[in-house]
Amino acid sequence: MLIYLLRRLLLMVPTLLGITVLVFTVMAMSPGGISAQTLVGGMDMKPQEKQALLNYYNKRYGLDKPAAMQYLHWLNNVLPIGFVMDEQGHQGEFSFSKGMDLGTSFQYGRPVADILLERIPITLLLNLVTIPVTYLIAIFVGMKSATHRGGRFDVGMGMSMLALWSIPTMLAGVLLLGFFANVQHFQWFPTSGISSREALDMPFLPHWGAMGFVRGFLLDRLWHLVLPVLCLSYGGFAALAKLTRTSILENLHSDYARTARAKGLAEHDVLWRHVFRNSLLPLITISAGLLPSLLAGSLIVEHIFSIDGMGQLAVEAVKGRDRELVLSITWVSGFLTLIGYLLADFCYTLADPRVNYD
Amino acid sequence: MIKTVLGSESYAARVWRKTRNGVGVEVGLAWIGLLVFSAVFAPFLANSMPLLMSKDGIVSAPVLHYLSIEDAWVLASFFIVLLVYRLKLRAVQRIALFLLGAMIAAVLVNLYVSPPKLVIYDDFRSPAYTQVDWRIMPPIPYAPTDYLRDLVSKGLEAPFETTSHLHLMGTEENGADVLSRMIHACRIALSIGLIASGIALFIGVIVGGLMGYFSGIADMLGMRLVEIFEDIPTLFLLLTFVAFFGRSLYMMMVIIGITGWSGYARYVRTEFLKLRKQDYVQAAVASGLPLSSILFRHMLPNGIAPLLVAVSFGIAGAILSEATLSFLGLGVVDAPSWGQMLDQAVKSSSFNWWMAVFPGGAIFMTVFAYNLIGEAFRDAIDPKLSNDSGLE
Repeated sequence: MLIYLLRRLLLMVPTLLGITVLVFTVMAMSPGGISAQTLVGGMDMKPQEKQALLNYYNKRYGLDKPAAMQYLHWLNNVLPIGFVMDEQGHQGEFSFSKGMDLGTSFQYGRPVADILLERIPITLLLNLVTIPVTYLIAIFVGMKSATHRGGRFDVGMGMSMLALWSIPTMLAGVLLLGFFANVQHFQWFPTSGISSREALDMPFLPHWGAMGFVRGFLLDRLWHLVLPVLCLSYGGFAALAKLTRTSILENLHSDYARTARAKGLAEHDVLWRHVFRNSLLPLITISAGLLPSLLAGSLIVEHIFSIDGMGQLAVEAVKGRDRELVLSITWVSGFLTLIGYLLADFCYTLADPRVNYD
Repeated sequence: MIKTVLGSESYAARVWRKTRNGVGVEVGLAWIGLLVFSAVFAPFLANSMPLLMSKDGIVSAPVLHYLSIEDAWVLASFFIVLLVYRLKLRAVQRIALFLLGAMIAAVLVNLYVSPPKLVIYDDFRSPAYTQVDWRIMPPIPYAPTDYLRDLVSKGLEAPFETTSHLHLMGTEENGADVLSRMIHACRIALSIGLIASGIALFIGVIVGGLMGYFSGIADMLGMRLVEIFEDIPTLFLLLTFVAFFGRSLYMMMVIIGITGWSGYARYVRTEFLKLRKQDYVQAAVASGLPLSSILFRHMLPNGIAPLLVAVSFGIAGAILSEATLSFLGLGVVDAPSWGQMLDQAVKSSSFNWWMAVFPGGAIFMTVFAYNLIGEAFRDAIDPKLSNDSGLE
């Protein structure tokens, strides 16, 4: 297992390198490219100050060098092993423990690593809440339509799931925000963010205090998450429910299910202990592909609900042509996706003992 | 004696017949037909100028006078398509004929159509155009970029809110009529859907075909490339491309095309890996046919069926991508688009429901229509995956 894990991790390296090369090429080929000129936009700066800033950027990031050199420079900084660079940008000796330096964001003037550490947990929280919700609903709907095949529930769900799947996330988000978080209609949910300012001082769990009911940090967070999670999950469960249905239907008529029934097992046991477990396999395979779409979906959801997560950061970074930030966001999201694939493969071994990676 | 009856129906005809076998597909096709109609005849459906008018006994058609080069070309291409459809030709000949016709039309239109550079829409509501013997106005008498300055449109007015001028779907933030903008935006949605997925398909078929045919090292390198494109969430990649390159419509098509080919490549690869060991492919190789002939004339037609399903879903995806980019404020700047209108639904804390319901509904219906068609296609091609599967 350990060898398998190592091999998978090593295989990630070329893919991640490829992602950064691709994104860097896109940026370098664009009209204007990435040069210090595009970054120093201040109109109210004195010429000397402008020149000083230009020089600083050029020296710090090597922006006056050819694109390939810039990329190698960036790569050297990011990789945990490489040449140690001194303040002047001169190459020092080779080191195996120099640490990763993701650079400083042009836009925010802060280290990229700090910004990412702030933003990634928020996006991950959104996605990690979404995935179980998605699966629970999908399995319930899929199971019910498979067992009541051809019935009213099945036919109705088949059409409405496809319809649900076709609703653009932004339309759902805008409608939810407009109707359920708006003074004009129902102001049931907060309009933006993932926690209120006063919730930060509250205790974690809800309780009765001197001032009456205090909702606590947890409830406040959940309350803020309702609409975004709803928005993120419906597309996923629509697709998954269809898959669950097909997969359960296939297994319901299989030989082993017939054997189990012939042995006199209750239908409930046949369904949940035999059929269900085997039907899980395609669902697990799909779960890996869910992560990239969830990350992309959270980009829209974060934009609509003004949540300061990674998606929102990506939009800002790209609009501000922030080279360091764009590069790091893309490879980190690629990395998260690859980790998702790996996790899915591990879950596969849990669900199906026949699968063995050694 | 039993007589065997051989079906004279071809594979393509059978798939098409089975695809048409449902209510969903009819709805989908009808909606797309409506979109095509609005896209082609947009200037006659929603415009500020009269279609026909008679002033002092002289009959004139201001719409034709102001027809832009693009409008004229779209109209010409539409009639070429109709003509090509009526002729009895092979598919390849039809496509070639259409491309040729469209190109000739483009040249002719560029030479002969010269609309006025400046259009002042307010003029069409001045006495010069209103005090006439008779005139026929388009069904929606507002152009998409007519901001109704002379009518004192405040912008973001709900449907039927103003009594002096009627807006079936309200007005957007600059004061233009929403329905008119939606009709003109059909063109962007349809063309992006078709051309972007065409580009993606082209790249996907070539890369996937080479990967599947050669397998081995080419396959491994190709798969890494596919993985790179798959592992970055597509929207992140799209954003990067769009922000660093231009915002024109054509750039957008290319960008959505080159970020969306990885799925097709996977499909084609799997099909070709299966096909390459088949006897007829071996025979083609043995008879020394050139590679392009083996790949595209012998293997591709046999592996194309599952691809059609992917294309149908791909068109829906491309339309959605464009709408999302416009929604995020990174779309085409100078033309109306559904996503960009949807973005105005929640602005400055007030919720303008008509900006969400109508453009958003149009995006939904279009995506839904393509998904319905894709679904029906899949059921027709692969009965095992259909809704009626799993029962003997």
